[in-house]
Amino acid sequence: MNIHEYQAKKILADYGILIPEGKIAYTPHEAKEAASKVSRHGPWMLKAQIQSGARESGHFLGKRGKGGVRFIQRKRDILPEAEEMLGEILVTNQTGAKGRLVSRVYVEAFKNVYFKFYAGMVIHRISAKPTFLLASFVSGSKSILQRAEENPDTVLKLPIDIDKGISRSQVRSACIFLGLDEKSEPHLKKFINRLYKVFIEKDATMIEINPAGVNRRGQIFALDANMSFDDNAAYRHPEIRKIQDDYEEEDRALKAKKFGFKYNDFDRGNVGCIVNGDGIALAAMDLIKKNGFDTSCVLNVKGGVDKDKIAAGIKIIMTNPRVEGILINILGGFLRCNLIAEGIVDAASEVGANVPLVVRFEGTNKDDATDIIENSKLPIIIAHTMEESVDRLTLAMQEAE
Amino acid sequence: MSIFADKNTKVLIQGITGTQASFHVRRSIDYGTNVVAGVTPGKGSSIHLGIPVFNTVREAVLATGANASVVFVPAKAFKGAVIEAIEADLDLCVCITDGVPILDMMEIRHLAEKHKTKIIGPNTPGLITPNEARLGIFPENIHQKGRIGIVSRSSTLTYEAVLETNRAQLGQSTVIGLGDDVIIGIDFIPAIEAFIKDDDTDAIVLIGQMGGGFEEEAAYYYETLDAKKPIIAFVAGSTTPSAQKIGYAGDIVAGGKRSIQYKKEILKNSGMIVVDEINQIHDELLKLYPPHV
Repeated sequence: MNIHEYQAKKILADYGILIPEGKIAYTPHEAKEAASKVSRHGPWMLKAQIQSGARESGHFLGKRGKGGVRFIQRKRDILPEAEEMLGEILVTNQTGAKGRLVSRVYVEAFKNVYFKFYAGMVIHRISAKPTFLLASFVSGSKSILQRAEENPDTVLKLPIDIDKGISRSQVRSACIFLGLDEKSEPHLKKFINRLYKVFIEKDATMIEINPAGVNRRGQIFALDANMSFDDNAAYRHPEIRKIQDDYEEEDRALKAKKFGFKYNDFDRGNVGCIVNGDGIALAAMDLIKKNGFDTSCVLNVKGGVDKDKIAAGIKIIMTNPRVEGILINILGGFLRCNLIAEGIVDAASEVGANVPLVVRFEGTNKDDATDIIENSKLPIIIAHTMEESVDRLTLAMQEAE
Repeated sequence: MSIFADKNTKVLIQGITGTQASFHVRRSIDYGTNVVAGVTPGKGSSIHLGIPVFNTVREAVLATGANASVVFVPAKAFKGAVIEAIEADLDLCVCITDGVPILDMMEIRHLAEKHKTKIIGPNTPGLITPNEARLGIFPENIHQKGRIGIVSRSSTLTYEAVLETNRAQLGQSTVIGLGDDVIIGIDFIPAIEAFIKDDDTDAIVLIGQMGGGFEEEAAYYYETLDAKKPIIAFVAGSTTPSAQKIGYAGDIVAGGKRSIQYKKEILKNSGMIVVDEINQIHDELLKLYPPHV
């Protein structure tokens, strides 16, 4: 689960983290009014709200020049600038070429800071610890990911003991790392502790403040905010589920989620995969690639026990116009193959099996599943190993061309 | 021998009365697994599938001497159930439950560090020692008793690895799915360590995934060993940059490198045999153990 910047900032503010004065606006006029409310004379920041990083270096579809985050000095410029953003598509290096529709803008009082840095909270999987990250301000196209990868020493990582929280010596080392003076240290301590509290209490999986800014008094402000939450913990956070923006999720992914499945779309390729695990998805994608094809989408039906839901899930792939061949690889353990087979037959009978479809079952109730497919008399190819399933599918797709 | 569980392991099932648990526990019993007790709070002193049910793990352990558990309870009750298993000092706790909140698992790991219980999973098919013990949901009919240990971070690819060892007619000593979640109990290292000590295991198949850094840790560990057994390793997701969409986004920031290629290099440099495709595992096994003609 992801939320917008202004929503993330609201949460931070609830926990006592300083943020610039800001207001959300859905129309250019609202933006103008918001500007007057957050600051009398400006300057202001006008920020398109889409769930993507690198908004500043992005561009609006069909337009030149300016990105989704703008510095505005004169109040009369707020309205036309907001007009240029609202209802338009913002493309960044994280959204893919399709970009995202901007339905609202955040109007903020510009905050004067003398120093900016990157702060993040993530999970270090091996040690099972929340880990606080610090780096110098990451701007433009170079992401923190690239930075961490190319130059790991430029990112400070502080693993946190979940019983004790951040230690004094960790705060000290953070202060030294950033080169902050002594008067900032108590502010930095508060900032880190509060960030950690949000992370734990909201079941976040990632929080990024890029940048945080330090003013002359040593106070620390979150100038941007990006948060992701643990889907598995959604049940204990109705307050976050409520602010979820369904428009941000792809239709098919959203539909799949309704049935309890996971759907990934890759904006390319023409093979649709239905699998019951991430590992098998990756292995299948590797083999598909080797045969000269690309995977366009993957539906993971792991844990499915209801045949109607499975049928509904399979239809999501079958009705994707990009898909010219479908590969179904199921290794039944918990999930029983016969349920998948029934789901396939139901879905195919309804929407028509009009592209090559290869299935391969292994494990729990495999023979029943094979019988169900054979008895359906649908043009479905049955394969016995993963490589055979991929080979037969790509062959059938070549023949169909 | 085998690792972590065999026919002598006394198994208790947490959440035994659930529908899915019942389906799979029945099969485990039929397979020969020594299931001695079940735990479902509020259903103590009843009998389910011919197995006595207790209200708490401690009661079950006192009455039956159970030393391992399999957890089927729903995600919301998961943390409490596993804490019970840890505090009862079970040797092994295999967690099938999926959808466990990450924070709950971080707390469990934190507690487990102070106890002896080995936690496997969550979100795993479990552990199976062919013809002896099935702790979980593995499709038992594909397994053959043999001399290859399998440890995998991908549930579904575990089955592929099993089929590969069958293809080489070598079978499995013990098969362990570590689980697909962001935070898991044990990682590769304790499994490698145990397989190397195990007289019935000749070689190990390791199935990795992108992200997490678990494979790298395993490689650094393996490199330092004096007594080694061959490890054949496969890491899924090598050709597909878009595969990055799958998995935990914080990984790269927390872990460093992102490329699968890099991960494979490290495994190779540690002395493991790294295959590019999962169906090459049996070829490598046959090179190590040519069939007697």
